[in-house]
Amino acid sequence: MPADQPLWLRAVLRLERTIGEPIESAVRSDTYFDLVSTTTRVRRKVIGTAEGVSRRCLHLLNLPAGSDIQSMRQQLTRMERRLNQLSDEVSEMDETEPPTRVR
Amino acid sequence: MNPRIPSTLNPGDLLQRVNRDVERSVLRARNGIRYVRGTHRPTLGATPKDVVWKSGKAELWRYKHGDRRYGPPVVIVHSLVSRSYILDLRPGNSTVEYLTAAGLDVFMLDWGVPDELDADNDLERYVDVYLPRALAAARRASGHDEVTLAGYCLGGVLAALYAAGHQDAGVRNLILMATPVDFNEMGAMVALLREGRLNPDEMIDQTGNVPADALYSGFYMLAPTTEVAQKATLLENLWNDEFVEGFQAMATWSRDHVPFPGAAFRQLVELLVRQNVLMTGSMPLGGRAVDLAAVKANVLNAMADRDNVVPPPAVEPVMQLVGDPTRREELRLPGGHVTFGTGRSAFKHTMPKLTGWIIDHSDTPS
Repeated sequence: MPADQPLWLRAVLRLERTIGEPIESAVRSDTYFDLVSTTTRVRRKVIGTAEGVSRRCLHLLNLPAGSDIQSMRQQLTRMERRLNQLSDEVSEMDETEPPTRVR
Repeated sequence: MNPRIPSTLNPGDLLQRVNRDVERSVLRARNGIRYVRGTHRPTLGATPKDVVWKSGKAELWRYKHGDRRYGPPVVIVHSLVSRSYILDLRPGNSTVEYLTAAGLDVFMLDWGVPDELDADNDLERYVDVYLPRALAAARRASGHDEVTLAGYCLGGVLAALYAAGHQDAGVRNLILMATPVDFNEMGAMVALLREGRLNPDEMIDQTGNVPADALYSGFYMLAPTTEVAQKATLLENLWNDEFVEGFQAMATWSRDHVPFPGAAFRQLVELLVRQNVLMTGSMPLGGRAVDLAAVKANVLNAMADRDNVVPPPAVEPVMQLVGDPTRREELRLPGGHVTFGTGRSAFKHTMPKLTGWIIDHSDTPS
């Protein structure tokens, strides 16, 4: 720690390390990893359930739900990706350099 | 006794100190308001450049700063998880600027910000499609048949796989900066995935990619309380424009992650993290086995001693695996993961040593 630091800063840095080291150990523990994985799964499940309920409600009223829009976006993305592939193939044919060989 | 207060203080010194403290308080107030308002943000990635190749989100930039006296060109391959401007953070504190000022012809392969369109990008797409095309463009633009390929972090893995997997790679020098090969040594960053507590698909969102927030959380949790120390240090140095600018630049970069393409993420978890295949010296890619020892280039394995993102034990095996044993060199640098891009240590150690090595392995000016 540099000697020209004011006392308050040295105290804060020391306190941060005092608190930080056990926290860093904790977030590397099996208990923390289990907690993160459980939280991630529960969150996905809750979101999935909520989306399912809202989708059914919206469909009852003949309205599109977020998941319908998402699936339409996915279809558009697939189409755009295919167009990009074709465009890549055309530009590859135009290139004068021979394609790279793989080992 | 407080070391800042000398035992004898004459009235002249006292007045000077009071003046200095008053001036600093005024500057602290001014910079504090600017910081809170978010104005006066530093310009990031400011070295002038041209886009010389583009495909999808990937772009190859050629920097225009300085005379190009050495060849072959240096092509930097950036990681897939963060923004490339860490290597060109701000004027006066930029690896790219340092290299170009030394007379090197510098290119940067930037992967952009992936979206739904990139969810299918697998490692083959990066190693066998983007890299060969970008390097062909660099060769065309520079007029050299070879390149010095420098990969940072995960970009180093892509660069090594390219150099090993292509007969006509034309890589004279391969620089691996903080490049992990032993994923068993990657610690908390990958522990959740390695041990099967989480599956890759559980981290992928509706766009088909791993969201940037998830990646940021992973980095943040490595040292969750250091932000307090950083903010306290900022408060003490708030009078110093240079310090505040550097702090803002780093703070912006460290929060500015990009989504990770889903297909590449699945491969990364299965092959690199769970099977740790790079430690076997060979990796299955595009229906073939890429042998890391097949790299023909001079290899420089650069690592940072206090890197807590890619710790040295994850990087060290490069010296046993990549390229010809007689053409491998190791470079240990003081500092952390970002010492390849910014900071006092970068300016004092990393930039001169990297530049020196590249020039030693380049053609001298004709």
